[in-house]
Amino acid sequence: MTRSRLLIVVALLAVLAAVSWSARPRAETPAERVDRITSELRCVVCQGLSVKDSPSESARQMRDIVAQRVAEGRTDDQIRDEFRASYGDWVVLSPPLASWTGLVWLVPIVALLAGLAVAWRRLRAPPSTLPEPAPAEVAALRERVAREEALDVVADTP
Amino acid sequence: MPRWLRLTIVVAIAALVMVLVLAFRRAPTDIRTGTVGKPSVAMNVTRLEGGDLTFGGRTDKVVVVNFFASWCVPCKEENPALVRVYERYRASDVVFVGVLYQDSPENGLKYIHDNGVTWPTGIDTDGRIAFSYGVFGIPETYFIGADGVIAGRHIGPIDETTLVNGIESLRAKAQK
Repeated sequence: MTRSRLLIVVALLAVLAAVSWSARPRAETPAERVDRITSELRCVVCQGLSVKDSPSESARQMRDIVAQRVAEGRTDDQIRDEFRASYGDWVVLSPPLASWTGLVWLVPIVALLAGLAVAWRRLRAPPSTLPEPAPAEVAALRERVAREEALDVVADTP
Repeated sequence: MPRWLRLTIVVAIAALVMVLVLAFRRAPTDIRTGTVGKPSVAMNVTRLEGGDLTFGGRTDKVVVVNFFASWCVPCKEENPALVRVYERYRASDVVFVGVLYQDSPENGLKYIHDNGVTWPTGIDTDGRIAFSYGVFGIPETYFIGADGVIAGRHIGPIDETTLVNGIESLRAKAQK
């Protein structure tokens, strides 16, 4: 192996080691957990803002509740369930699949599959062929073309 | 267009219309999600005038819980109706409870003195009471049956008729 090839291999190994190191599983701090959970909950007095992002007093109080529950050792599901018990599935920014709000996820998939099915049928269908014209129709058209060409010849004559 | 596709489109449009009709016929003051239909939690809070106030849970009485604040203009608008209905039922099996929401005790105390609020009123210092009831914004009024279950909620300023109807339906249910 030449020296340059060795350098490339060493560089690739270094990149791989760096990526592996940065992607290693590590324990989430309580503050990170609070941020993550509150980013998944809807602020009840805002328009489309999460509890984490909202500056409102209600959101601040909800963040405090989440922080307290995290400190008490509750699981993510237990905390989310407590919010859902008070405000329904609406309070979760990503609606759960196992309820009627799961339609939010299912409808686009069903619509996409239906569209694909239509497109597939169209592609597989044989090209549409026009019916042969009747001999009388052909004769009439030829006669009309001949008549119009004769008129053109007359008009072009100086 | 194939028959099955036409049928699918018709069914999809019918489903959309049905969803819209169901969504728009619901009153925005009566959102039946979250805590409605579930047992209320017994709470012990600090009274505005001092001392403790316990409400919620099974009390064998109809309880009306009203969330308000001194900075809330619609709360002042609904207050005369609350005062009139409270006076009407004060000697009966109906209990009124006020909960001061996101406000200072001083402002809350001034509000209840200025607006003739004589029913017991507690302070929700950290929003835990509002959270446990699922309050979206004030004013909000909850009707708790004698069995302790939250039977209904009214979002926004409440009027006398809605209050009386809510109370009477729960009293009738309790007497059965």
